Amino acid sequence: MSTLALQFRDAYINGSGPALAAVLTPIAPPQDPDRLRSFYQFTNAAYLSKDIHYALFHGKGVKISKAEQNAWVDVFSAYWEAAGEILKCEGHHPGASTIAVFNTWKKLANALIRGYSGSSGIPAWTLPCLYTVGKYLRTFAIKADIEAAAQGSAGFGFQDDIAADIDKNANLEEAARIINRMFTLCLSDRAPIEESRKWGIYNTTNLLFKTYFKINSVGLTKNLLRAINASSADLPPLGAFPKSHIVTFKYYVGVIHFLDENYAEAEEHLTSAWRMCHRGAFKNRELILTYLIPCHLVTTHTLPSQRLLAPFPRLERLFRPLSNCIRKGDLVGFDAAMSAGEEEFVKRRIYLPLERGRDIALRNLFRKVFIAGGFEDPKDGGPPIRRTRIPVAEFAAALQIGNHATDRSRVDIDEVECLLSNLVYKGLMKGYIARERGMVVLSKGGAAFPGTGV
Amino acid sequence: MNSSVPPWRATASAPVSTPSAFSSATPAYIPVHARRSLAPNQANPPAPYASQPTMSTPAEAETRKRVEFPPAVRTYVQRCFAPENNIPSVTTAEMQEKLRATITTAAENQKLGLIDWERLALPQVMIQNERNKILANPSVSSWAMSSQSTSPGDSSRKRKSTDLHQSETGSPPWRKANHRNRFEDRVTYPPTEKKPRITLDDSSKSRANLEMRRKRFEGVGGSHGGSLSSSPTDSPAPTTEVDQGPVIGRCQALEKNYFRLTSAPNPDTVRPLAVLRKTLDLLKKKWKKDGNYGYICDQFKSLRQDLTVQHIRNDFTVIVYEIHARIALEKGDLGEYNQCQTQLRVLYAQQLGGHPTEFKAYRILYFIYTRNWTAMNDALADVTAEDKKDPAVKHALDVRSALALGNYHRFFQLYLDTPNMGAYLMDMFVDRERLSALAAICKSYKPDVNIRFITEELGFESDEQTARFILDHSTEKMLEEKNGSVRLLAPKAFTFFEQAKAEANRIVDIKGQI
Repeated sequence: MSTLALQFRDAYINGSGPALAAVLTPIAPPQDPDRLRSFYQFTNAAYLSKDIHYALFHGKGVKISKAEQNAWVDVFSAYWEAAGEILKCEGHHPGASTIAVFNTWKKLANALIRGYSGSSGIPAWTLPCLYTVGKYLRTFAIKADIEAAAQGSAGFGFQDDIAADIDKNANLEEAARIINRMFTLCLSDRAPIEESRKWGIYNTTNLLFKTYFKINSVGLTKNLLRAINASSADLPPLGAFPKSHIVTFKYYVGVIHFLDENYAEAEEHLTSAWRMCHRGAFKNRELILTYLIPCHLVTTHTLPSQRLLAPFPRLERLFRPLSNCIRKGDLVGFDAAMSAGEEEFVKRRIYLPLERGRDIALRNLFRKVFIAGGFEDPKDGGPPIRRTRIPVAEFAAALQIGNHATDRSRVDIDEVECLLSNLVYKGLMKGYIARERGMVVLSKGGAAFPGTGV
Repeated sequence: MNSSVPPWRATASAPVSTPSAFSSATPAYIPVHARRSLAPNQANPPAPYASQPTMSTPAEAETRKRVEFPPAVRTYVQRCFAPENNIPSVTTAEMQEKLRATITTAAENQKLGLIDWERLALPQVMIQNERNKILANPSVSSWAMSSQSTSPGDSSRKRKSTDLHQSETGSPPWRKANHRNRFEDRVTYPPTEKKPRITLDDSSKSRANLEMRRKRFEGVGGSHGGSLSSSPTDSPAPTTEVDQGPVIGRCQALEKNYFRLTSAPNPDTVRPLAVLRKTLDLLKKKWKKDGNYGYICDQFKSLRQDLTVQHIRNDFTVIVYEIHARIALEKGDLGEYNQCQTQLRVLYAQQLGGHPTEFKAYRILYFIYTRNWTAMNDALADVTAEDKKDPAVKHALDVRSALALGNYHRFFQLYLDTPNMGAYLMDMFVDRERLSALAAICKSYKPDVNIRFITEELGFESDEQTARFILDHSTEKMLEEKNGSVRLLAPKAFTFFEQAKAEANRIVDIKGQI
């Protein structure tokens, strides 16, 4: 206990939130591997709060109000209890249970929330404690769910139906509710901004996002965004927050929009996450790109460069074959690459936007038809003009490229028209179809395929 | 620290106080005492104590002089007190009271030797069942239920081997889907086959019903039902009854109205599997004959409920859910369909047979309709390479990709060739896709298009239907007659369809969605 109490006092006197949070971690620091054990063994349930109070606040040094002292004693009592369960698990004790760890850690989280919410309670500069406790609450909940699942179902309830996977995430859902209270705790603080818990809003939001994603309730994230938006007037500007909070926040908001197929907004958020992300955070950068690249394909029709993907071999493997086919207008290759990568794409939830790349591949193919059409005889010695009236049959022929000759060839002309019609509708191609004459009339003057130079 | 106790058990072990009036009733009667206190009910007829040596009551010696209990009774009493038979929600006092009443009644009626003590339910179980019965089904007395078992409904032994929808008719089902959707189908009639109940005493019974109804709601607020009133996700601790394993039904009636459970079910109103099989046959026949959806849906819901409370999960369960899903689909009841769909997904995961690919295909089509892309992602992740060989799954995947790419040509070809009952689902979004296609066509064709072309491309049945559809979403001026054919002035009509498309693409929200 002595070391733990010492660290607490040091951190408190220095006013260092992170140092204080380091005291409340469930994992003993490497330089003091027995910290948790010695803390647990220094007292027992009967003398718990007295001993803790004595260790933390006896003697001179820290000046803390009575109310706050009590809050910390509650917090450390709960921490002591949790430490007992954690040590049991670490020692593979027969009565060890991650569910018990979660339950005791939950008490710790609740004690901390109480400590903050009371009047003259724990001050806001100690918020990193809340982050640490919240973070591990989520971790323990996931472990507890795994253990609960191994123990078998909790029964059917009074359901009319069988629904088996309702309480699969029971503990994590509970953790989400507690983290949600942390979120409210931060958002609703009315203290002047210098000492407000509002500074914790993005960190708790991120933790909650992460949890909602895990329990497959992405829909709930909308409520948080709404709540943040509603009080945005009282919040400091994003730039004032620690970058680490903002990058994660932007990433999640981007992915949320991405899943709703709002690619433009998704791109905006993901791009700012990408810009701010620390260059050493390889995994995070890779994650951001995983969603940013498909976004880019949909919104700006551009493909990732070799240079961009060079540091990320996994992404290179994921996107390169597809990109090459899109660039070349190789539809058969595109379809093959899509089905080859399908499993991975679907797992990462990027299948749907990537599929839209087919339009770009088709555009590139039809653009080739246009270019192969060559030029019309120049009139009056003017500059040569591209042939802009192209029979639908020529596009149909292009679609046959790559198909095996023995396939039930004959492309359906109506389908070709349909594909052309779509490109025109989507603005990838400018012109119109004159159905009766079987002709496509494209725009003159280098505007037939906007953005591609012809 | 109760380290090994999962959270939902930890709270459930708290003593549950229950209306003690129930403990005094014998199974056949419905108690009418209102609960006024937690103290044991004093209104019981003070029965001569017929107790067993293990119960150390003052009356013990006296009783023993009068009646010599057969060994079967003794073992029965021993079983009552065995700790493994203890039910936490029934206190020992209540149990003893019940036991006393049971043995006394038997002794008074000279039935001590007649009762099969080995099979007789333990008093704690009786108490629980009575409570359940009252909570579960106040409107039907157990007598009335069992009297129906010999009703003509039994004659439906001829079980259709074919699935319901396959035996329907030859013509494609979606063509006549709408004709049956008349008002009367949406009205729930009281079940027509109900025999007049054997009534004990009508007036007192209806009063009893009222009483039970009141109790049911009282229980919700009280300590007993406290955790039930909140939504299931909010209450991590279901009451103890939940953990006590499946109910085994005793009800013999084929039909049963659906009633949402608010407490553990009563075996007397639950039909065992053998009866449920007959029920399904009856329902299939009735559906074919009457097509009364309100009735059928209600019956299927109670059928599903009986399966659930008895923890029956086998091929029959799958069949029930599949048939209900198909019927709901046919009637466009997407809420109910979706519930079945969700359950089927769980059932299929357990390899219980049925038609998993057929329903995987529906699921994909359903998400196209609801435009739930997040769920669509999940559905796609569920499709295995093996599934893709199935024509229905392949069809659904093709539909999805055709729409994703805006390939209306392919989409409407697929629409006209939909396997199983997928066409009912496709009907839900086909107009939406027609609007999208028309927007694209109007944007890209000049100067006009023959509506013949639209009829063919967009799967309309006739040019008239096409024209009507166009007029519904634009104005007469957009159509023009030229050289004996009606033509759509595409460029002019574009804004109409673009707008209508946006209108139609608002997110569809359906209750019970996964």
